[in-house]
Amino acid sequence: MNENRRNILEMLGAGKINADEAERLLAALGDEAKASAAGGEVKTKAKYIHVTVDAENRDGKTPTKVNIRVPMQLLRSGVRLAGLIPAQARTHVEDAMRKNGVSLDLSQIRPENLEEIVDQLQDLTIDVDDDNAKVRIYAE
Amino acid sequence: MIPFAATIGVDRGKRGSLRLWIPLFLVWLLLLPLVLVLFPLAFVVGLWARINAFRLYGVVWRILSSLRNTLVEVTNDGVAFRLRVL
Repeated sequence: MNENRRNILEMLGAGKINADEAERLLAALGDEAKASAAGGEVKTKAKYIHVTVDAENRDGKTPTKVNIRVPMQLLRSGVRLAGLIPAQARTHVEDAMRKNGVSLDLSQIRPENLEEIVDQLQDLTIDVDDDNAKVRIYAE
Repeated sequence: MIPFAATIGVDRGKRGSLRLWIPLFLVWLLLLPLVLVLFPLAFVVGLWARINAFRLYGVVWRILSSLRNTLVEVTNDGVAFRLRVL
């Protein structure tokens, strides 16, 4: 038995915490142990997409900075809006995309697929470095 | 829940700054009668365009709800603008 577990049980025995609290603490210890056994840190879900732009103006003196924080939930809701595109409009969109070399059947996109795409954005980081500007997009 | 307030701040350095608190709940209250009046129209248009009006309203509600904690900051020429949805 490790020391933390022993401490919790001693606190329970001394009446400093009740059984529920002890159970919660032990469960938390268990989760921690599992995470460390897996060799990684506990991965939290990203809540926001950040877009930052650092650019120099043409005069080269005054910098322009943009910082936008968008909740992930907004992206999820936005992709649901895409699901409401009427069939006629969808055909036009597909035709226009095909003309530009992108063959995509929008009717095959299901909300669960879109959810998966948004979930995958958590690991996304885009860095664009230009002479005059730096753009960074990342999830946090 | 949809956001009930937003703050706008403009900081112009030595030239002064401005902070505004925008009560969005008043905007929603003002828009509510309009939404109710427009709902039958949206329903008819939805039927014509084969869009479920209830679903559309649901998605719009979701989008409004997820606007919370949105932050936009822009700094240019020594002027900083900040918009935050609370």
